[in-house]
Amino acid sequence: MTEPEAPVQEGRIVEAGRLGAGGEPDVWEVFRQEKDGDPMRHAGNVRAPDVELATHYAREFYSRRQESTRLWVVPRTQITDLSDPDLLQPPLDRSFKKPGGYVMRDKLEEAKSRAKK
Amino acid sequence: MTDEHRLPTRQLIQPDVPAFDTTGLNAATREALVDLLFTMADDEFVLGFCDSEWTGIAPMLEEDVAFSSLSQDEIGHARIWYEMLAQLTGDTADQIAYGRQPNEYRHADLVDHARTDWAFTIARRWLYETADSVRLDALANATWPPLAQLVAKIRREERYHLMHMDTWLRRLAEGGDEARSRLESALERLVPDGPSVFATLEHEDALIGAGIMAEPMSALADKWSDEANRRFSGFGFSFGGLAPKSGGRDRSVPSQPFKWLWGEFTSVYRSEDGATW
Repeated sequence: MTEPEAPVQEGRIVEAGRLGAGGEPDVWEVFRQEKDGDPMRHAGNVRAPDVELATHYAREFYSRRQESTRLWVVPRTQITDLSDPDLLQPPLDRSFKKPGGYVMRDKLEEAKSRAKK
Repeated sequence: MTDEHRLPTRQLIQPDVPAFDTTGLNAATREALVDLLFTMADDEFVLGFCDSEWTGIAPMLEEDVAFSSLSQDEIGHARIWYEMLAQLTGDTADQIAYGRQPNEYRHADLVDHARTDWAFTIARRWLYETADSVRLDALANATWPPLAQLVAKIRREERYHLMHMDTWLRRLAEGGDEARSRLESALERLVPDGPSVFATLEHEDALIGAGIMAEPMSALADKWSDEANRRFSGFGFSFGGLAPKSGGRDRSVPSQPFKWLWGEFTSVYRSEDGATW
């Protein structure tokens, strides 16, 4: 669910849309860490009237079977949404930004053996 | 995979309770401990089953999952106590949990009510969780290590139960006229039953003498009553009936709600005599 597209003036983003701004203030997005050292990954969401119950429900939905070591609970209205295709999927060819055409294998081996020393 | 490699379902579940050393217990302590464990196990079991009736019909989807999960926790705790009892008495946990007649259970008056409404459920659960917490505290330093170790684990789970019930008690107390009045009438009905959790046990002197229970049940009832009154006065509630009473666990004439619940939770077990589930 996305707010109306952010007005873009001369290629600059004026305002990024916020998920749920003006609606669904009771939805909380939950991120979970599966084990120590892992990144936080989006788990899903819960509906709750405040942060206290949101935390309790996040715990029930995403760790009642001990599947998480850490949870982040974020009000959906506080998430900044960027989905503007001009910014994310520009229409012209961008293949020159991809790291193709370089042979990395020998350099990588060399770097590895240096690191071992 | 051939059949000989297939384990019976029962053995696939790893028991939370390993075989424990009962050699340190003399006969009197053992008998007293069995008595105590029956009360704790039945409280958790009956309340867990009763509250699981909210599965599918709790006030909102998230609470439905949360409350069902809390109920499962209580059944899980009951299972641990029944397993421990089984090792002390030579029965099996299933026999103890499902094989008794309604008049042989030992749960407290507090958990011997029909489900009723959400406010009633929260009121009862709050009273029970706070009382159970006082009871577990009194067992935390038990001189018999298997008990102390299990109590330490269970207390860590009960922390969340207390948090969740506390937030619901506050929500109903401060959540507008209808919520507050429903909560108040539920508490008026249930508060007098609160001390039943601390009904004096026949052999509790032996438990105190052996260093298993820190204090007599009557002292625990006082502790709990101070705590409950403090919390209630914060909401402007005032209830009588927090004094300890005798006979809080007499199930010799089972109530109608319990007979119904017993019929429900034993239906599978009774469907085929002697089957292993």
